[in-house]
Amino acid sequence: MDPAEVRNEEIPQASHLALDIGGSLIKLVYFSRNDNSHTDDKEQRTLNEGLGVSSDGSCPILKGRLHFAKFETSKINDCLEFIRCYRLHLGGFQHHETPSNKIIIKATGGGAYKFANLFEEELGISLDKEDEMDCLVTGANFLLKEVQQEAFTYLDGHKEFVQIDHNDLYPYLLVKIGSGVSMIKVDGDGKFERVSGTNLGGGTFWGLGRLLTKCKSFDELLELSHQGNNRVVDMLVGDIYGGMDYSKIGLSATTIASSFGKAISDNKELEDYRSEDISRSLLRMISNNIGQVAYLNALRFGLKRIFFGGFFIRGHAYTMDTIAVAVHFWSKGEAKAMFLRHEGFLGALGTFMSYGKQSYEGLSVDQATQQFPMSLSHAGDKIYCPLSQDLNDSIECSVYATQHHS
Amino acid sequence: MAGLPVEPLLEIDGKNEEKVEDNNDIYINDNNKQSISKGALPVREESDQVGEREMALPPGSSIHRSGSRPQLDLSKAAIQGNPEERDPTILLPNQSDDISHLALDIGGSLIKLVYFSRHEDQSTDDTRKKTVKERLGISNGNRRSYPILGGRLHFVKFETSKINECLDFISSKQLHCSGIECHHWTSDSTANRNTVIKATGGGAFKFADLFKQRLGVSLDKEDEMDCLVAGANFLLKAIRHEAFTHMEGQKEFVQIDHNDLFPYLLVNIGSGVSMIKVDGDGKFQRVSGTNVGGGTYWGLGRLLTKCKSFDELLELSQKGDNSTIDMLVGDIYGGMDYSKIGLSASTIASSFGKAISDNKELKDYRPEDISLSLLRMISYNIGQISYLNALRFGLKRIFFGGFFIRGHAYTMDTISFAVQFWSKGDAQAMFLRHEGFLGALGAFMSYEKHGLDDLRVHQLVERFPMGAPYTGGKIHGPPLGDLNEKISWMEKFVLKGTEITAPVPMAPPGTTGLGGFEVPSSKGGTLRSDASALNVGVLHLVPSLDVFPLLADPKMYEPNTVDLSDHNELEYWFMVLSEQLPDLVDKAVASEGGTDDAKRRGDAFARAFSAHLARLMEEPAAYGKLGLANLLELREECLREFHFVDAYRSIKQRENEASLAVLPDLLVELDRMSEEARLLTLIEGVLAANIFDWGSRACVDLYHKGTIIEIYTMSRNKMQRPWRVDDFDLFKERMLGSGGKKPPPHKRALLFVDNSGADIVLGMLPLARELLRRGTEVVLVANSLPAINDVTAMELPDIVAEAAKHCDILRRAAEAGGLIVDAMVNTLDSCKENSASVPLMVVENGCGSPCIDLRQVSSELAAAAKDADLIILEGMGRSLHTNFNARFKCDALKLAMVKNQRLAEKLIKGKIYDCVCRYEAAQVEWL
Repeated sequence: MDPAEVRNEEIPQASHLALDIGGSLIKLVYFSRNDNSHTDDKEQRTLNEGLGVSSDGSCPILKGRLHFAKFETSKINDCLEFIRCYRLHLGGFQHHETPSNKIIIKATGGGAYKFANLFEEELGISLDKEDEMDCLVTGANFLLKEVQQEAFTYLDGHKEFVQIDHNDLYPYLLVKIGSGVSMIKVDGDGKFERVSGTNLGGGTFWGLGRLLTKCKSFDELLELSHQGNNRVVDMLVGDIYGGMDYSKIGLSATTIASSFGKAISDNKELEDYRSEDISRSLLRMISNNIGQVAYLNALRFGLKRIFFGGFFIRGHAYTMDTIAVAVHFWSKGEAKAMFLRHEGFLGALGTFMSYGKQSYEGLSVDQATQQFPMSLSHAGDKIYCPLSQDLNDSIECSVYATQHHS
Repeated sequence: MAGLPVEPLLEIDGKNEEKVEDNNDIYINDNNKQSISKGALPVREESDQVGEREMALPPGSSIHRSGSRPQLDLSKAAIQGNPEERDPTILLPNQSDDISHLALDIGGSLIKLVYFSRHEDQSTDDTRKKTVKERLGISNGNRRSYPILGGRLHFVKFETSKINECLDFISSKQLHCSGIECHHWTSDSTANRNTVIKATGGGAFKFADLFKQRLGVSLDKEDEMDCLVAGANFLLKAIRHEAFTHMEGQKEFVQIDHNDLFPYLLVNIGSGVSMIKVDGDGKFQRVSGTNVGGGTYWGLGRLLTKCKSFDELLELSQKGDNSTIDMLVGDIYGGMDYSKIGLSASTIASSFGKAISDNKELKDYRPEDISLSLLRMISYNIGQISYLNALRFGLKRIFFGGFFIRGHAYTMDTISFAVQFWSKGDAQAMFLRHEGFLGALGAFMSYEKHGLDDLRVHQLVERFPMGAPYTGGKIHGPPLGDLNEKISWMEKFVLKGTEITAPVPMAPPGTTGLGGFEVPSSKGGTLRSDASALNVGVLHLVPSLDVFPLLADPKMYEPNTVDLSDHNELEYWFMVLSEQLPDLVDKAVASEGGTDDAKRRGDAFARAFSAHLARLMEEPAAYGKLGLANLLELREECLREFHFVDAYRSIKQRENEASLAVLPDLLVELDRMSEEARLLTLIEGVLAANIFDWGSRACVDLYHKGTIIEIYTMSRNKMQRPWRVDDFDLFKERMLGSGGKKPPPHKRALLFVDNSGADIVLGMLPLARELLRRGTEVVLVANSLPAINDVTAMELPDIVAEAAKHCDILRRAAEAGGLIVDAMVNTLDSCKENSASVPLMVVENGCGSPCIDLRQVSSELAAAAKDADLIILEGMGRSLHTNFNARFKCDALKLAMVKNQRLAEKLIKGKIYDCVCRYEAAQVEWL
């Protein structure tokens, strides 16, 4: 996109949409310029020029916000409606070489393949598929390097932000918990390897939870777990050893020996169990397992940091707590689980960054965050509104648009 | 994280020596203060070793008897061997089989018992053995080197919920009376209060009071991990076909080098999962585990399906399709692989991930699919975490055990797949046949001086009697040992209907591991054939077995020539054995007088053996690696199980008599020949006489057409060189030399004989005679127990004695070998006079099969082999079915007539009645 064009055109309210279409959720990241962006832009430009920065004049700075939104993949029509309503799809870029003059939107996730035709038909846009892992890593690297107060630890209900030294970020293990779980060893920008994963992920929690309880949504299920007591369902070490610890091998009486292990011995049927307890037990089972597998992989590659992201976590305290406890338990306190505030949007963010390959050099973030304007989530009556406040963060940032094309 | 402190190893040393004062064997504290040393257990190996001196019971000793006490029968108790010796063994020849050792693993769902019983079959006191022992320098003192008792290890299971049945079982078999302390009965009449039984598992705590109350025994709690590891180490070291891999439905046994066993990762999948790094005996560390285990499978499965038992759930999984519930990579990528990171479209991205997006409710999913999805989720996860731990500690081998697996093919496949997938093929999952009994075995091992540690692989024979492992509760196998009940059990089994094809070992639900999971009530009267059932036999501990010392390469030795893992072969031999069955049953019934009882037993035998065959057809590796030799031995064992001691007894007798009648003429004829002509005639004679084989269908048909002698003559006349495999000239050169140089005779020849009748009398004996004449000592090696019409070591002395009546050479040699010493007992002079002859001896080979596995032969054969420089293996069973490819440190001659068309084609590209004369000169060891 010619920066000159951008300036001369009427800038849409929101632009530069990127999508991450996963198995259960669609994540959107889009950029909107601040209302006063024109003036800001000019001032900035003047300033920059005065300082001799971008003296060639080809580095416009677009100030604005990155917005984040998500939809259930099963309700993809809501998502399409949202995009249409906000004309987000017009914020893509028109590839000069595309003969049909089609708008191209960057997208990642399996759904970028699966739903390509649907986007074409409904919105007339073509999805440009970006590799999922590339995007995840790019997104995570961006967040960890550019956004202050992005990573935090969570133990016993205490959230503590971790200051990451940018020069000492790599290598780290990125654990992305979506429907399934991917574990990626990240060695630098664009340098990574998917080293492991597990099929016990968010999809398992929600899938099993849906079958076992009457919950209608993932969040409802998660909510229930707060009030649950997994001891009703799980077989604990104490249950086996008559209330005693098996201290010889370091297992306390309250350690879960077998998730759902109590569901066998009782004469109870499914109806006799409280949904809360089931949800709690499920959550612990899956979080624990992810924490363990992640730790073992970190150990294997000598990685100091494990970052957990992905929509399974969605800022849920107990989930984070369980994962943190699992990592703590298996590493005997040597390793700490860390979480990302924008955990669910790594892929979408990375996809967004991939525009930079063509038209932008990159993003930089001036200022941390602001609350997502609530009005945005009202875009249609059916539109899904993110629940967790944390996830509503938009990031105020400047986009340096640099033309790199020859 | 890389520098995590490593938790100190949990070093588990042997139990405190002082803790238990005495060993666990029968112990008589007599007046002479003779006691049994702690190091060596007394062995009641053979009753012929009873010394002459009867031991009078000390007047003060009274036998404590009470209803629940062992009823030790001290009549005829005697000190074995030299009473001057320190710690002589005390024999209680009239004590029944019931004195044994018991150990328990009481899990949340199953109680596993391992108990030991002595061998009941004691060979009779025969002079042959005694003299052979003297001859071969096997002193009676030698038995002291056997660290363990000969006997059997039995594996039994009960559902924990039916613990009373378990208590009844223990009580009825008086198993609790064998605990360690009860041997103090002579000195302490209150000892029964102190009887201690080793136990492990959560229930050892929970049910301690119940055991005390019901049986008056205390449970001595052994640490669960200790037991698991001890059990696994024992199995991996002592049982040849214990560990196997399982990929894509294919089971393959893995030969583990005992010196290269450690370290390994032991993954015990019970309710939960424990992962233990094992560095040696008693040296291990629980390094990891997961709470997603068997309990999770059954717990979630029970909530999601209406299954009433673990097994039902497991069975459902076999008909399931997990793609209806799991989100696969293909579902996310629109049917495409995510090949960039190596994920195929069918890889599970998210277990149960599809249950989200659909509008379906629980009831809309098939329980089969749910079960499979659960199974894959859990197995896959366990495989992955295990691999990561193995990797972490650099462990090459991962063994999976515990009752979650229970031989279920799909579970094993899934775990194997996970290990292979994550290790990119570098690591392999292995499984254990006795997976469910690790803990109980380990508890058994924790008895002091059980001697099992010293047991070596060749001293263990696994047998598969009906109903082993005995399973308590409603479904149970035939009571061990009680023939009548066993027969009626077989009969009931048949009544259960046609769906039962294989009543052989069925595994009830349950688990070991962290407590084990509570299992479903039994399936009531439903007996099912379950391909996935665990097959564990009875372990016979035979301390007198040895590896045949003349094997060129014992490690590489494989007895079986025909590998039945080839399904066509299996089918063929299955058919052969099935066809022979009716005739065999007739013979067996007739051998027992054709009584109603014999007929009943015959029917039961036929059913039992058919069931074994059916079971093996379904899963050839069910009982370990299966070769033809194993199958043939199974048949003999099965006959013995139903008390058919010797089905061919009368036939053998008849044929021996007929052959002995013509022997003198044959010898006269032979003596007229030149040495060279005689040698050829002798070999021809052996080959021709080998036609008498009741194991061969073709030969059985021949019998209907003529008399023994007619057939023999016909067979002789058909002998025309060259034979199909003909190394006779090589053999002749070794025997007679060439170019006027006469080689020295062999020092000692071992003749592995085959059939009774013409085969031994007209074939092998004349050959033996020739060797004797040339100054070679001859050891006739024959079966310890009957198999078809094979001659046994017990029968040989009589045959030799009869033959010796007509032949001086045989007579003098037999006398020199002590075979017919009885006849000469009052003429000492004649013994001296004849001592110039080289001896003819008879040793038993340690088997009761038509084939021979030279890794497990009797110690007397092993001793006899030490000075031998020629081996002659005769007959199909010993030189073709087995050992055809075996190589020896000494000269070896393999002689057989092939009486099976298929084998002839396969082995020697020939046809039925072709002959094999294969001669292989000694393999020089340093080559």
